[in-house]
Amino acid sequence: MRSQQTPAASLEARLAARVAGLLTSHAERLPHDVSERLRFAREQALGRARHARLQTSSGAVVIANGGRAATLAAHPMGWLQAASALPLLVLVGGLVFIDQWVSSEQVQSAAEIDAQLLADDLPPAAYTDPGFAEYLRNAPGP
Amino acid sequence: MATDKELSDFLKSIEKRAFKRAVYAVRNDDAALDIVQDAMIRLSEKYADRPAAELPLVFQRILSNATMDWFRREKVRSAIVTNLSEFDKSGGDEEFDLLETLHALEDTMGTESAADAVSRAQILQRIDAEVAELPARQREAFLLRYWEEFDVAETATVMGCSQGSVKTHCSRAVHALAKALRSKGITP
Repeated sequence: MRSQQTPAASLEARLAARVAGLLTSHAERLPHDVSERLRFAREQALGRARHARLQTSSGAVVIANGGRAATLAAHPMGWLQAASALPLLVLVGGLVFIDQWVSSEQVQSAAEIDAQLLADDLPPAAYTDPGFAEYLRNAPGP
Repeated sequence: MATDKELSDFLKSIEKRAFKRAVYAVRNDDAALDIVQDAMIRLSEKYADRPAAELPLVFQRILSNATMDWFRREKVRSAIVTNLSEFDKSGGDEEFDLLETLHALEDTMGTESAADAVSRAQILQRIDAEVAELPARQREAFLLRYWEEFDVAETATVMGCSQGSVKTHCSRAVHALAKALRSKGITP
């Protein structure tokens, strides 16, 4: 009798909604470990979404700038990479400076020796003369 | 495009129902958790740029696909195909009173006394078990239509069938549940 008074479809929908409500109540009582694993799964998924968005936006910026170095201005990761290379650049620059300084010191000292030899009263050729060498060996001390 | 908060709120709102749907299908909590996680990650990686309003429909399709993938991996595809093709032959057996069952359920949703708490928990457990016992297609149609609150067209889209089939599955599921609950003594 009652089902004749209420359209069958409406009655089905009401019963179904009631069962669904009870299912929701039951689902809210999930064990703690299941809830925790669901939370972990959600956080993992959100992390992936952020990563995917970051990749998409980075790609868009590179395309927008035609792949030129100007992308650094709109690309936060570019600045980080540039900053991480700075210590290496300083090290290489320091090594090049030290090499140049040592070379110039060696050239300077060689030039001073040459200058002293050339400016001395004794001509440089005297050091290759055997008689002069003999004279130096037999000369009385000061 | 859905914002981080919209995506987070959405996932939070559906995670428990998604888990229960997966459990009904695979009957294994660990496998169901893996399926839900897989579905969440697929949604986040490939569809996070969709508007927030589209996420429910997309997620349910992904969840269905992830569940099917699990069955494929488990090499029990033949079993699920048998399940999916079965139809409940309930014709001519719909004379029992849906309204009586509805009144009984409404009583369980009413003001809860402390003395009835255990009884209510048992009723929830029975309803959960009866839903799990429904044929797969009927259960899927019922859950999408009434638990996820999709309309008939959306349910048909997710299930990949006609709207008429959705209505048939839903009707049979409701009658089967009402009959099963009455047989378990849930009567006024």
